[in-house]
Amino acid sequence: MMKRLIAGGRHFLGLHKPGRNLNVWPDDIFLVSYPKSGNTWTRFLIANLVYPKKNPDFSNINQLIPDPEAMSKRDLDRSPRPRILKSHQYFDPRYQKVIYIVRDPRDVVLSEYHFDIKRRAISEDYPLSQFVERFVRGELNHPNGTWGENAASWVYTRANDPRFLLIRYEALQSQAMEEMGKIARFLSLAVGPEELRRAIDLSAADRMRDLEKKQGHLWSSTRETRQDKPFVRSAKSGGWKKELPEIGIAEIESKWGSLMRDVGYELVVSSFSESGMPGMANKS
Amino acid sequence: MVKQLKFVFKYAFGLDQAGNRFTVYPDDTFLVSYPKSGNTWVRFLLGNLIYPNEEVGFSNINRLVPSPDVLSRRFLKKLPRPRILKSHQPFDTRFKKVVYLVRDPRDVVISEYHFNLKKRYIAPDVSLEQFAERFLAGKTADYGSWWMHTASWISARQGDSDFLLVRYEDLLAYPLRETERIALFLAIDANPERLQLAIDRSSADRMRKLEKQQFSQWTGTKNTRAEIPFVRAAKSGGWKESLPPHIAEQIEASWTPMLELLGYEVRNPAEIKVSIPIKKNPDFGI
Repeated sequence: MMKRLIAGGRHFLGLHKPGRNLNVWPDDIFLVSYPKSGNTWTRFLIANLVYPKKNPDFSNINQLIPDPEAMSKRDLDRSPRPRILKSHQYFDPRYQKVIYIVRDPRDVVLSEYHFDIKRRAISEDYPLSQFVERFVRGELNHPNGTWGENAASWVYTRANDPRFLLIRYEALQSQAMEEMGKIARFLSLAVGPEELRRAIDLSAADRMRDLEKKQGHLWSSTRETRQDKPFVRSAKSGGWKKELPEIGIAEIESKWGSLMRDVGYELVVSSFSESGMPGMANKS
Repeated sequence: MVKQLKFVFKYAFGLDQAGNRFTVYPDDTFLVSYPKSGNTWVRFLLGNLIYPNEEVGFSNINRLVPSPDVLSRRFLKKLPRPRILKSHQPFDTRFKKVVYLVRDPRDVVISEYHFNLKKRYIAPDVSLEQFAERFLAGKTADYGSWWMHTASWISARQGDSDFLLVRYEDLLAYPLRETERIALFLAIDANPERLQLAIDRSSADRMRKLEKQQFSQWTGTKNTRAEIPFVRAAKSGGWKESLPPHIAEQIEASWTPMLELLGYEVRNPAEIKVSIPIKKNPDFGI
């Protein structure tokens, strides 16, 4: 009884974390991705580009690019507008202007595996193959859906929409200047190559590792996790080719093959390379 | 201050309208559709199928096949399980077992236009053309555009064994076959007599009669313009007569891939570089 009244009072005062029930303003911009797809890196990149004078780091990133899962409704409502918000939500029709970061699910599952060890959700000797199986089947009890549900629900609802920008994590790594240029244009920022270069350098993996060592205890996602395991891990793409068991690769490709191909990932298990969808081939 | 205290108590006791904040249980089943796509009709079908001893009507449909959008969290929590819930939400990962009902958007826009007049959501002098512009932009509903809604569900779930895609038009043309598909999906005993009884009890004529008697007892029709009926034509293809041709063309031009995927007539297919990668074509069984 008392507990319920407290919950009601907290809700009334806006002290709860709104998550999917965030109040959305018409001028909001969302940086959306599935978890472990480079969202934090992109937050740093964008924060360094948009707020160069604020010296973005782990201690203030939540203020600069607010996170509705980690902050109170009150703080979110009071954030200066226009807000650039971080999100892992699957499709939400209220989000108008959206940057969606997509990453190869074969790397996402590896990153999530290591992150789950860091935050003690699984033990260090948890079998990777079993983890992949649960990842594919949606048994990790993810509030954000499976990788395929999350990506498909955005990519196909918003494709061809000028207020939607799809960025591949892999492209952001291999051609950072070009991809950052797209982001800057999408945000209507008047910035030149020097500003882009600066934001990229300040968000380099090495620099983020240094910042994490100093500030890991200050940030909601790394506080109370195993300090012997880094949050900023390899920051590479294609690690799955060495680390992921073949059966895991096959499972992922058989489940999400056509979506993966549509967002530009090459399949390696040949039997899934055929279109799974007769009659609905790309009309281009 | 009183108002503020009221909020705290309402929240504490779960009396606030659930919207999208209700608790989803693993054994829930959802009947999902874009608005004005035959959802109420299928609610009646399901109600009559599952509760043959109840007199299903507008007065009790919110109890039999409840709608979280208009009910309190507490009410929803106390319902007997397993629940079958009605929803207009776009893709929601919490909804595991889903019957997804889809209807030709050229008919949806006409139905939604009349419904919005009935509900006084739009002024009486708004034309169908004006309304259709906003419909295409997804500005007439809180659930995104028709394209976003269908694309979100179908691209994320089509091909899953706990996702059933049903076309409104098939349900009209082949009611027995389609109702049987739904019944099998929900593991409801589906002998032909029981199916036929549910279909007869949910006919448009019967629903029209019930609407006349009970309109004041249902959230969908209470305090709305009584001269515009809720159960309207209950037909498919009405757009060919009553939708201005250039609007039909605009809908085709914007949404060709999804119209084709769903097997709806497209006279001038548009070159749109979007495919909807589903694991297999929906099997409409025709």
